[in-house]
Amino acid sequence: MARAAVLERLTPIAWRVATVEAVVDETPSARTIVLDVPSWPGHTAGQHVDVRLTAEDGYQAQRSYSIASAPEAERLELTVERLDDGEVSPYLTGELRAGDPLELRGPVGGYFTWRAEDGGPLLLVGGGSGVVPLRAMLRHHAARQSDADARLLLSARTAADILYRDELESRPGVRFTLTRERPQGWTGFDRRVDAEMLTAVGPDPAERPRIYVCGPTAFVESVADLLVALGHEPSAVRAERFGPTGG
Amino acid sequence: MSEQALWLDGNAIAGLLVEIFGTEMTGVVRGCQSCGARNAVGAHRAYRGAGVVLRCPVCSDLALRIAVLPDRHVVQLVGSWTLELPTR
Repeated sequence: MARAAVLERLTPIAWRVATVEAVVDETPSARTIVLDVPSWPGHTAGQHVDVRLTAEDGYQAQRSYSIASAPEAERLELTVERLDDGEVSPYLTGELRAGDPLELRGPVGGYFTWRAEDGGPLLLVGGGSGVVPLRAMLRHHAARQSDADARLLLSARTAADILYRDELESRPGVRFTLTRERPQGWTGFDRRVDAEMLTAVGPDPAERPRIYVCGPTAFVESVADLLVALGHEPSAVRAERFGPTGG
Repeated sequence: MSEQALWLDGNAIAGLLVEIFGTEMTGVVRGCQSCGARNAVGAHRAYRGAGVVLRCPVCSDLALRIAVLPDRHVVQLVGSWTLELPTR
């Protein structure tokens, strides 16, 4: 076994220095960072990475970000939403440029993951940037040409806040809801996620879908409670929350 | 939905857990010694402060406490944990 491989095995969570290949503005407050990661071990849709920033005086700040790209993609993509009072996200969404190094480790997380071989049906419910790991699942679904029934409900404040809108709109089974506005000609939902909306999106609890809910903590709590009340198995509902320790 | 709860999922500390245990931990099922519920570590509630505390998602009893010190982690496990650690 090569020495590098041995080291890899002994330090499964080594920090790596990735290089930013490109930054893509997705919405006024969110940016996708395309990364070239040396000896990236591969990931599963739904996993995340830890990103670490080090200041000149040695102070370090660390955050977790969901992976936005499919395992099949050549480059690793993270989509980061700027939190104005955050410590890390303003740098990632504002200062970071192509060619810059970025320290990260991972992938981590084996709970909130979906592989094509897990099958469906699949119900994905995202709040705001909670759609990021769900997009990785949908891209994986497409890359593997999975025939699993996959549906996504994405809740955003305004139409301008919808991440990956063009890409998602081109897929069947994707619905949006806006909680703060109803633009002219809008054909999606225009309220907070409720039981009626979840029933309309489906699939029916009798089909025993695998369910992934990601978003702010209060959003996830509310949606998970609604799903269980509709008759979905609590154990079929997997949740990933963004909390106040983010940013 | 304006109120922000002060906890995340066990999934959020996956990186720290790999650092400590050397393997992916969020899929590990833990049995709670207080209420008996069995849940994946990733479905537990994680509270971050000076260290990390993991609590049972059903009864909030303590599951794991990690103090992050400059030269070591101090780890306290509560309840029934079955770990499958890869051989080296």
